[in-house]
Amino acid sequence: MELDFSFLLEYSGVLWRGLLTTLQFVGLAVVLGLIWGFILSMGRTSKNLFIYWISTLYVEFFRGTPVLVQLFWIFFCLPLFLGVDMSGFTSAVIALSLYSGAITSESFRAALKSIEASQFDACTALGLPNGVRTIFVILPQAVLRAVPNLLSNVVSLFKESALVSAVGMADLMYVGQNIANNVARPIEILSAVAIIYFCIGFPLTRAVSMVEGRLLKVVKA
Amino acid sequence: MAFVEIDGLIKRYGTLSIFEGFDLNMGSTDRLVLIGPSGCGKSTLLRCMMGLEDIAGGTIRLGDDDYIDGAPNGKMKLNRQVQKEVGMVFQHYTLFPHLSVLGNLCLAPVRSRGIKKSEARDKALGLLERFGLADRANFYPSQLSGGQKQRVAIARALMLDPKLMLFDEVTSALDPELVVEVENTMMELAEAGMPMMIVTHDMHFARNIATQVVFQERGKVIEAAPPKDLFGNPQQDRTRDFLRNVLHIEG
Repeated sequence: MELDFSFLLEYSGVLWRGLLTTLQFVGLAVVLGLIWGFILSMGRTSKNLFIYWISTLYVEFFRGTPVLVQLFWIFFCLPLFLGVDMSGFTSAVIALSLYSGAITSESFRAALKSIEASQFDACTALGLPNGVRTIFVILPQAVLRAVPNLLSNVVSLFKESALVSAVGMADLMYVGQNIANNVARPIEILSAVAIIYFCIGFPLTRAVSMVEGRLLKVVKA
Repeated sequence: MAFVEIDGLIKRYGTLSIFEGFDLNMGSTDRLVLIGPSGCGKSTLLRCMMGLEDIAGGTIRLGDDDYIDGAPNGKMKLNRQVQKEVGMVFQHYTLFPHLSVLGNLCLAPVRSRGIKKSEARDKALGLLERFGLADRANFYPSQLSGGQKQRVAIARALMLDPKLMLFDEVTSALDPELVVEVENTMMELAEAGMPMMIVTHDMHFARNIATQVVFQERGKVIEAAPPKDLFGNPQQDRTRDFLRNVLHIEG
């Protein structure tokens, strides 16, 4: 078998556009997922039983079903339910945000729970009102502790985003498959796609471990 | 009239009873050191004094004011104004790890007492200077030794001008060579006339700093006396037994 990577140059523009699409909807889903996840984590730690159970059910549902099934459902079923037309891009962003919100909320929740009771005692001893305690003492520590986890969620989401090719979104994976079909050179093209994913994913993973080491040193005083 | 008056204190954790009617008085120039076997409620008493524990019965007065009025089922009444006059230092420092030393000292004065930032900062720098920590003002807690952390914690409490300081085993988590610097800081405060309630396992330090040593066991005061008397000539058998055990262990 002869490998020939030279034809890739010809398709670099298409691959580039695929990568940009991937980065765009992953980026949007990360930001929306962060906000949604934070709201969910508040629900998961709420004393209101109704809010607690609704948010818990939601999180467990999205953690307990395959992302691919969620994607298909939102691509094909949600528009029917809502009676609106949604672009593939919109559906992908919604699906991945809903999913990453569930995952992110767990990171926030774990971080909130990991803050020692003694920190709350110290706040009482210093006479800090609840609002000041939450905003200036508890939240900053929770966010710092959640950062390494949140970053690895981003890496996972970036990789899982390749699933949207299954519903016809022209992301990097989809573009790669198309080219592979056209030129009948699946080995070269799929290897190239894998390498592109790796070039983005690897620095992200490294960043996670770097941040983890540094932050934990500060936070675990 | 006593400066601190604890009357009929009742404290339970579920079915576990710590105090069933505990009484203790303290004068305004006193430094009370609480000693006794572990689990006898020394730390719990300090936590009750700080308002960190729900008290099922009894009252605590501080100065001329009613401070805490215990009641079952979480119906305790606590006077927040009086609570502000009490400062506490904990065994495990409990500094805020995401804030610098200066940030730790200034947070409460600025955010809950409405003191101007510049004013709080000047006061903080003054306190750090006094404790020999001026060069650590911009360090983070993770960059400090245990002894330094604990002295920062003391300074943080002093920022709020407490009328009573509580020290809960503040040297227990420290390496032996760091204990002295914290104890010296406390001695300095004592000499400046700060009323204190101290829980410690260091009998030598207790003897030096206390005006009154309180030996308690199973939620009751067994004996309270000036250190010279309590250590030199204990009146109760249980005090003698306890002291024989701990002093023997200490060598």
